[in-house]
Amino acid sequence: MNNYFTQLGNSTKQRARGMGQYGIFIAFVMICLILSLITPKFLTVSNWTIIVTQVSINALLAFGVTFVIITGGIDLSLGSMVAVTGIVASLLAHPDDYPVIVPVLAGLLAGVFMGAFNGTIITKSKVPPFIVTLGTMTIGRGLALILSKGRPVSNLSDSFNFIGGGSIFGVPFPIIVLIVAFVVCSVVLKKTILGRYIYAIGGNEQAAKASGIRVNKVKMAVYTICGGLAALAGILLTSRITTGQPNAGAGFELDAIAAAIIGGTSTSGGTGTMTGTLIGALLIGVISNGLDLLNVTSYYQQVVMGAIIIGAVVLDGWNQSAAQR
Amino acid sequence: MTLHSDSILQVHGLSKSFSGVNALDDVQLNLHRGEVHALMGENGAGKSTFMKILIGLLTPDAGEILFEGNELKNNDVNDVLKQGISMIHQEILIVPELTVAQNIFLGRESTQWFSSWLNDRDINQQAETLLQQIGLEVSPKTKMKYLSVAEMQMVEIAKAISNNAKVIIMDEPTSAISDKEVATLFAIIKDLKAKGVSVIYISHKMDEIYQIADTITVLRDGKYIGTKSAAELDRKSLITMMVGREINTLFPEKSSSKGEVVLSVKNLNERGKFDNISFDVHAGEVVGIAGLMGAGRTEIARAIFGLDTFSSGEIVLKGHKINIKSPCDAIKNGIGYVSEDRKGVGFIPALSVKHNITLASLSNHTKWGMIQDKSESAVATQMINDLKIKASGMDQKVTHLSGGNQQKVVIGKVLLASPEIVILDEPTRGIDIGAKFEIYKLINELTTKGIAMVVISSELPEILGMSDRIVVLSKGKQTALLSKEEATQETIMKYAMQH
Amino acid sequence: MKKIYLGLIALATLAGCNQTSEKESGEKKMVIGVTMLSMQNEFIVNVSDEMEKKAQELGIELITVDAERSALKQIEQVESFIAQKVDAIVMNPCEVEASSPAVTKALAAKIPIINVNSETSTKPSAFVGSDDVESGRIAMKFIAEKLGGKGNVVMMHGYMGQAAQIKREQGAREILKQYPDLKLIAHQTGEWDRAKSMSLMENWIQSYGRDINAVFAQNDEMGMGAVNALTAAGMKDKVIVVSIDAIPDALQAVKKGTLDATVFQNAQQQGAKAIETAMKLYKGEVVEKEVLIPFQLVTKNNVATFIK
Repeated sequence: MNNYFTQLGNSTKQRARGMGQYGIFIAFVMICLILSLITPKFLTVSNWTIIVTQVSINALLAFGVTFVIITGGIDLSLGSMVAVTGIVASLLAHPDDYPVIVPVLAGLLAGVFMGAFNGTIITKSKVPPFIVTLGTMTIGRGLALILSKGRPVSNLSDSFNFIGGGSIFGVPFPIIVLIVAFVVCSVVLKKTILGRYIYAIGGNEQAAKASGIRVNKVKMAVYTICGGLAALAGILLTSRITTGQPNAGAGFELDAIAAAIIGGTSTSGGTGTMTGTLIGALLIGVISNGLDLLNVTSYYQQVVMGAIIIGAVVLDGWNQSAAQR
Repeated sequence: MTLHSDSILQVHGLSKSFSGVNALDDVQLNLHRGEVHALMGENGAGKSTFMKILIGLLTPDAGEILFEGNELKNNDVNDVLKQGISMIHQEILIVPELTVAQNIFLGRESTQWFSSWLNDRDINQQAETLLQQIGLEVSPKTKMKYLSVAEMQMVEIAKAISNNAKVIIMDEPTSAISDKEVATLFAIIKDLKAKGVSVIYISHKMDEIYQIADTITVLRDGKYIGTKSAAELDRKSLITMMVGREINTLFPEKSSSKGEVVLSVKNLNERGKFDNISFDVHAGEVVGIAGLMGAGRTEIARAIFGLDTFSSGEIVLKGHKINIKSPCDAIKNGIGYVSEDRKGVGFIPALSVKHNITLASLSNHTKWGMIQDKSESAVATQMINDLKIKASGMDQKVTHLSGGNQQKVVIGKVLLASPEIVILDEPTRGIDIGAKFEIYKLINELTTKGIAMVVISSELPEILGMSDRIVVLSKGKQTALLSKEEATQETIMKYAMQH
Repeated sequence: MKKIYLGLIALATLAGCNQTSEKESGEKKMVIGVTMLSMQNEFIVNVSDEMEKKAQELGIELITVDAERSALKQIEQVESFIAQKVDAIVMNPCEVEASSPAVTKALAAKIPIINVNSETSTKPSAFVGSDDVESGRIAMKFIAEKLGGKGNVVMMHGYMGQAAQIKREQGAREILKQYPDLKLIAHQTGEWDRAKSMSLMENWIQSYGRDINAVFAQNDEMGMGAVNALTAAGMKDKVIVVSIDAIPDALQAVKKGTLDATVFQNAQQQGAKAIETAMKLYKGEVVEKEVLIPFQLVTKNNVATFIK
């Protein structure tokens, strides 16, 4: 390896360094290119509208968990938060009950509360986030079943169903939510003092503390934001399928974490970007859409999906290590 | 000194470049059997690259390495190890959960054909013998995590011996161990020498070099400067060889005058760590804290800074008692702390120089929580220039800087929070002479500006050279508060070892 | 974590059991242990509720536990029932093969065991449920008749390999064979899930567009997902959607005309018959080995009778 890279000249190294940053983007473009060559139905405006709409829920969760992973933590309760917030919102969203803002705010509040609960336990108890959020994952699922009495909550108002199903000037509302959330999350991470502190804590918690950063406050904020974004995802999902499902969102946390990691967020903390996470989420969405378009059998879909994800991350890993030499 | 005519390792014309920058340029070395050969040079002189090539971690661009007359070429780490070259790294590579014996034989279990599972009794016996050889009194069954840093180092040496090493490379072996342990280490090195083992010894500590080395080779900026017998080379010439210019006095003249009391520590206690510590620090004054390893120096600093708690006592700042619960409170009260653990508590490796340097004062550059990039960059640039931090730019990651420059980044971060009192804990550990000198100059500049300084150091010359007054600790107790006039190496050691 | 949770439930049920037997030592109440596939599934919850109703009516005590879709857990639950010496066991099996040992164990302990809703490969004392193959036939037959035996169909599977998925597919394919002009142009799993199936339908619309004439979804959740996607694409009028289970949401949709038909699986009958059969077995009466509850097609014409 060493030999190989020393033989390559200076210029190649520069290029490799550039690739490292965009490795996953290149993998993403390559997959899109291949798909558009195989099926003409892939590269159309209507298909991409659908892909991005489908991706929006996972992307919102992935944005939230990106904050958390950068601080060196993890949140396994995402899927359960989706269910709880969806149920809370749907219970208040029957026609002629309340104006649509009420279920939306109630759902968001539920998510913020659950996130803050995670944050409180994690910072006060020093129990690893993995364990704490594993616990809240189960608690959340139970809460969703209790609130809904184990049954789907249907018959929701049209204004509520607009959130997941409506369009503004031909752009589906979930896409608008996605874009706004992406911009806000990127700005928070890159331009605000909170974002800088998030990177600092994940990079070296002790050093961050010694720099006068109130580590617990920042962590608290991060888990709360993550809960809020999960609530947004929960409300979108509920509105999209026009029913609150107590078992909704099961396993969503894995897709969200996968999107963040594919996008270059390191599980050891300290690095990651929202753009990377967005591409990670899109990559997963594109593969799933492409396989459906090609009518690949269910059994093979799972194999292909897993293989492509590993391939994309391995490719990215190679580029990163090439860039570091 | 004995003369050895037979050389075991010869290196000629060794060169290596990274991204077009020469890390090593035509370097040579001639190592004799049973010799302790010091390799000296400032950080970035190419010592690490050189050693990495020797042990097969890097491949040279040009040059040859003759080991016992045979050329070493295209070898990987394991080949080199088998041939008999072992390295004891600065950061000790151990598995804390395994026993001493298991660590010594780590990676070689499978060569014992008779057991696919490990024969613990067998390796324990072998380890016992090895440990006796080097005079380390620990059971081979002890888990590695219960050992002190010095003991871990001894285990690494035992491992090297068990590999039948003919050449042992030691990279800054004394950077984290106490004086007494250094003495033990040196006894082992002398013993190895007597058995015909050669040692390449890398260190920044002059005193040690003159105690232990037979021969000194100096590198500077990747180039070979020269090889001299230690007996023939005085300190001044050695420094000149290393830095390429003459440094007359290591400790610059001080020009500050003592002002009012800024910080008073009164009867500070923490059970099991330190006991009844009291001292004042005046504006423009340097108070040194001396003591052996484990005397409680760092613990006191961490308590004052709010990183750890203390059970009783007061911290008084300019006449007001203050209540510090976290570093955040300390910084707000104008206290700055540069930790001895630069990697662990000092900087954040994944962040850039700029982002590290502004981290403790970032709220000065925000509006509605948004970072004002212009004002942040401006102060960062200013500080990088003031401290002469050598980086390719302020966006370079701190990991890629040399130890001295990393230290300057941490100091810069502390200074940007406008402290009135700065605590420097081992400020020059593991950094080269040139950078050391700059840090000493900086301490003087800060005192001139009226900042009160506390300097903790294991190097007595440093404490003596920099401090106006010296607090001496022994096992958590304050045994003396010496004035500059009273303090000598001997008095400090006397109080440091008092019970 | 779930294990602990389960353990607590087992303890609680054990404690509860002891209490009642102490209190009413005079006339002993019949006790039935019930283990259900998943209490997160609406239909299963309905069956469970119906059993509870019937039991109250007959003065029987039920100990109901949730196997959370784990056959292993289900076996452990049955073992605990045996240890508690219940009078009969009603099992809603998680899996055909993997839940079979539970049947064997109960029979060996001479406790009657009744499978409700789905089968195991080992034959229990009695089976109460409906033949899932039949539901597939009914649904696909409806599509064939509506399309006049000619057109393109897509099919949404449940979790691949589960008994209901296999049988509903089998029934649908039997009908497809009878109509050579009815083409299955795509089939894919929607994992019984509404959101998943909505995405799947959206992707199919991209792929096949107006070539799709009908959708057969193996349960209502997926059918509703398909309806959502088709409505959003403005294609609902032109595509027939049929699914199975007749959950309240689906019945409302049939009433509104967005879902063309669903197949009613009678939770009330399944639950009640299971308890009745258990009681008969306990009293030593002769029972039918297979109590089959017929499916019923629900369309706009007869939907009113199914809405409670």
